[in-house]
Amino acid sequence: MWAVAALSLDVDPDAGLETLMEGYQRGDSDAAARLIGRVSPMLHRYLMVHLASRRFAGDLLQETWLRIHQARHTYRPGEPVLPWLFAIARHVRVDHYRKQRRVEDREQQVEVLPERPQPIPSDGAPDFQAILEKLPESQREVVFLLKGAGMSLEEVARATSSSVGAVKQKAHRAYERLRELLEGFTRTKYRNAP
Amino acid sequence: MTNPELEHVLEWAAKAPHAVDVEVLERITRQVSGSLRPVRILPSEATIRLVLFLILVLVSIGGATCLGFGIDLWKPASPILWVVAVLGPQTATLTAAAMVPGSRKRFEPHVMLLSCTAAFAALFAVFTRDYRLDHFFSEGIVCLGLGALFAAAAGFLIWLVLRRGCVLDPPAAGISAGTLAGLAGFAFLELHCPIQKAAHLMVWHTAVIALSGLAGFRIGRFAQDLGTKRRAAEFMQ
Repeated sequence: MWAVAALSLDVDPDAGLETLMEGYQRGDSDAAARLIGRVSPMLHRYLMVHLASRRFAGDLLQETWLRIHQARHTYRPGEPVLPWLFAIARHVRVDHYRKQRRVEDREQQVEVLPERPQPIPSDGAPDFQAILEKLPESQREVVFLLKGAGMSLEEVARATSSSVGAVKQKAHRAYERLRELLEGFTRTKYRNAP
Repeated sequence: MTNPELEHVLEWAAKAPHAVDVEVLERITRQVSGSLRPVRILPSEATIRLVLFLILVLVSIGGATCLGFGIDLWKPASPILWVVAVLGPQTATLTAAAMVPGSRKRFEPHVMLLSCTAAFAALFAVFTRDYRLDHFFSEGIVCLGLGALFAAAAGFLIWLVLRRGCVLDPPAAGISAGTLAGLAGFAFLELHCPIQKAAHLMVWHTAVIALSGLAGFRIGRFAQDLGTKRRAAEFMQ
């Protein structure tokens, strides 16, 4: 893969995101390449959860990196990277939504529906994206950041510009809804879980 | 389904691999590498907060020094100025946080604006005993104009600081920056204006903060719309 090929020996392969981000700020291209390789799948998945099209998610991922590149001086070493990155990705997504509305106002509706994301076949695990699609936008975002990105409540609050209490409330409501929806997900299937 | 079971299913589902087009990743890496150079990291939040608060202090004291002090400098400072000294750093913290994506948000900017306006109006109602309404408009307009002028000067200086960061939510940043600038204009009036009538202080002095906050919001919204319009036009081409 491209990111692996671009590696050099001066960047620790197990380096944390914080170390890679600091290297990126110092102008280290290897650290930047590793950071892009590590974070992009997560950001792409986040954008996919909110969009119908894979092509749009790819475009938005590029735009997100452009903004990250422009704002990289605002990351403070020692701070968690994920809330900083997801705050920018979230802004790009919201901005895209606004832009889309503006464009739609001038366009005529077409009959062709946008392509749906194609889930990658996995080991019988439920499709994460399909599960999240059943939730309202704000709850979907919170559950993704908590489970998909593995962020803490405090980090999710920072990424979404809200309070920890609000995040807890959204997560609680999302869990209530998911519990109802996943009742069909039988215990037999659940036993297959690793 | 119990909570731990649900958590387990979600974690299991989230672990499924997610691929990104190699082409897209290569393009991103090329773009980033093409313009990669060391950057000067933004100063700490405490430093930015201090600079923003200093703007408030310098504009208000500088303005009163130029146009004259309306209060006796040798008397203990009024409780209003003490409240400015408490709310000023809070608003500066909020403004400094707006410059950095993913900052901890302590409270909403519009809550800060409403709190400042309501707190000063209430304090004037409590501490002022002169309820005369003579020259209410003629004196008030002059104070509002002067306060707004110094708030605009502070707002310009705050904008110079803000543009060093990355503002993701311009309307919210506009409200906090506007409130801080309004506090500068308000503090200037407190130092300069000799009028001690309750209605005058409650309406015209406090209005400087409210108007400045609203102006900040409008400017932020305008900047946001301009950015969206520009990007939509690029998309349409």
